[in-house]
Amino acid sequence: MWRPDRVAVTAAGVVTPIGQDVDSFWSSLLTGADGISTIERFAVSDLRVGRGGEIKKLTRVKDWNGVPDCRATRLLVSAADELCASAGRPIPVDPHRLAVVVGTALGGVGEGERALGGDGRRRRLTGALYDAPAHDLARWLGARGPVLTVSTACASGASAIGLGADLLRAGVADAVVAGGYDALCRFVMRGFDALRSLTRERLRPFDRRRSGLLLGEAAALVLLRREADAGRQRLGTVLGHASTGDGSHIAAPDPDGRGLQRAIAQAMTHAGVTPAQVDFVSAHGTATVLNDRIETAVLKRALGERARAIPVNSIKPTMGHTMGAAATLEAIMCLLAGRHGVIPPTRYLEEPDPECDLDYVPGTARTAPCRTSLSTSLGFGGQNAALILEAAPA
Amino acid sequence: MNTSEVEAPAIRAIGLWTGWGRGAGAFPADAAVAAAGRPVLSLGRAEDADPRLGAERFRRATRECLWALASVGAMLEDGGAAREALAGARTALVYVTAAAYGASNRAFIESSGSGTHFAYTAPAVVAAEVAIEFGFAGPSMVLIGGAPATIQGIWHAATLLASGACDRALVLAVELFEECADLYVRAGRACSRPLVEAAACVWLTPGEGRLALDAAGLGRVGADSVRRRLGETFACEPLAALGVERAAGRGARTLCGSWRGQTAALSW
Repeated sequence: MWRPDRVAVTAAGVVTPIGQDVDSFWSSLLTGADGISTIERFAVSDLRVGRGGEIKKLTRVKDWNGVPDCRATRLLVSAADELCASAGRPIPVDPHRLAVVVGTALGGVGEGERALGGDGRRRRLTGALYDAPAHDLARWLGARGPVLTVSTACASGASAIGLGADLLRAGVADAVVAGGYDALCRFVMRGFDALRSLTRERLRPFDRRRSGLLLGEAAALVLLRREADAGRQRLGTVLGHASTGDGSHIAAPDPDGRGLQRAIAQAMTHAGVTPAQVDFVSAHGTATVLNDRIETAVLKRALGERARAIPVNSIKPTMGHTMGAAATLEAIMCLLAGRHGVIPPTRYLEEPDPECDLDYVPGTARTAPCRTSLSTSLGFGGQNAALILEAAPA
Repeated sequence: MNTSEVEAPAIRAIGLWTGWGRGAGAFPADAAVAAAGRPVLSLGRAEDADPRLGAERFRRATRECLWALASVGAMLEDGGAAREALAGARTALVYVTAAAYGASNRAFIESSGSGTHFAYTAPAVVAAEVAIEFGFAGPSMVLIGGAPATIQGIWHAATLLASGACDRALVLAVELFEECADLYVRAGRACSRPLVEAAACVWLTPGEGRLALDAAGLGRVGADSVRRRLGETFACEPLAALGVERAAGRGARTLCGSWRGQTAALSW
C-alpha cells in the first residue's frame, strides 16, 4: 500500500578520490582538496587527457574475501562498509524487506574490457552486465529484497535515490540501500576523449574559461527508511524527486533545458516546496560550455528571482565527474551542508562567465543556512533528475 | 511479503518482435525444439522489418536503437494510433534491458571508435532515440536487469500514471545477442534454451482495478510456459507474455519472472 510517509536518510557511506569516508569527503570539500591526478591503473598515454579523479588505493575494507575482483563492486562494497559501520551489518531489518537500488553509467564494463582482452574467466563475462555490481552488493549486504540497477547515465545516482524512496512509500521494502557508483576504466576515458569533452586544464564550472570536464571514480550510498521507522539517527529527508527525458539529442542536453526544468518543477511539486523555500542548489556543473549555461538559465526560470538570492555550487572540480556516483555524492553534500550550515565552494571558478550570473560560491566555503536544497543532474540521452532534500539539524 | 498495490493501468497496445518473427503468433510450441541447436535466434536488420528505419537520419543508430523504434512502430499499429498520439511531455518512458548494450560496448572496445560510437554505448541513448523519433519528453527511467526489472518497470509506469505524472506510459524492452553470441556461449548462457533476440513495447494508460506487485515473486505462475515457447529473452519476457495474452484475446492476469536468483510478479 502507498504510504504518505516522508523518507529519511539515516546513514551514508562514500569512497571518493578526496576521501574514503563521509567525514574526510566533507572536510576535503570544505578545505579545497584536489583529487585530480594522472591515471595510473590503466594505460592513458595515447589519450589527449590522462588525468582524472582516480582512487589510488582502496583502504577501507581489509578483507575482500568473497567480494569479486571487480573495481565497480569493490567501490560499492567500500561505501557500504562505511554505511554499515553506523547502520549495522547486517542492517537490522528483515533481509527480504531490504532493497538495493543503485545507479551507474557504466556498470561492470571494465569486466567486459578484461574479458575481451583475453581474461577467460567466466566471471568477467557475467560481471560485464551492468547490473552485476548491484547484485554483488546485495549479496555482501545479505539483502534479499528487490535489487534494481538504474542507468539514466550521469543522472543515475539521483534517479536511484528517487526510485528507492518510491519502494519505501509503496511498502515494497522497509529499508533501501540506494546510491550510485562508477569506476574509471579505459573504456570511458577513451569515450570521453573521443567526444573531446575532457579538459587539459582545471575543471572550472561557470568560469568563462571553462573547457570541459574531467572524470572521476567513486561510490556513494545512503540508507533510506520511512520516517516512522527511522529512529533519531538521520542525516535528513528526501522530500521530492523527479526524472525526465529531453527527447532532444542523444548526447547533448536540450539547448533550452526544458526537460531539466520539468524535472525541477515536478520534484518541487512532489516535495510540496516553493522556490521561496529552497535555500541552496547543488548544480550538475560539469564545466562544459553548454551544460553550465543551460543549467543557469533553467535555474532562473524554475526558481524565478529566488535563483539570484541563493547559493549554487558544483563540487565536481575537486574529484572530477564521478558519473553514476555524482548525484548521490551531491545529495550527501547537500545534507551535510544543511546540517552544518556551511556550503562547499565551487573550486577554480575565478573569472565568471557573464552568461552564468548566479552566486556560485567561488573561492572558499561559506557559512549560510541551507536546510532545504535542490540537487540537479543531467546525463547522456537527455536524462535529467532533480532531488529536493531537507537536512536534519545537527 | 514484499507486496504492494496501485491503480492498475490498461494496456492500450503492444508491439512485439522476436527472433521468431512479428507478434506472439510467431512463437513455436517449444523454443528448444524449434531452434534445432542454434544458440541465438537473431532479429536481423530492423530496416528489413520496417523500411522507414533505413532513412538517412538513422544511419548512425545502433541495432538496439532501431529495434526499439521498430517495436514502438509495431505498438502504434497494434493500437491503430498515429505517432502524434505519443508526442509531448505527458508521455513517460521506462526502458529496460539486461544486455542490449553489449553489442555497442563490444564494438567500441574492439575498435578505435568515435565519440558518436561511444555515446551509443549508453543504455539511456536507446530511450533517447525513441523519445526523439516520437516527439515525447515526459518522465523517464532506464532499468538494467532481466524479467524482474521489467516487472518493476511496469510497476513504476503504473505509479507514474496513478500519481498523474503522465497520461500514458511506454514500457520498452530490447535484448540483442548476435554480436556477442560467442561470449554467451563462453559464459554458459546459451544452453537449454536458445537466446532469442527481442524488442517489445507496451502502451499503458490509466485503467481500472488494482495492480499488485509481489517483489519476492511468491505468486510465481506462468513464466515457464512463455519461456518454453519463446526461449530466453531476458528483460523482454514479461512483455512477450503480455503479448501472448493479448493475442489470445485475454486481458493481463499475472506476470512473473526471475533473474540472478531474484523473482518478481505482477497481478492485475
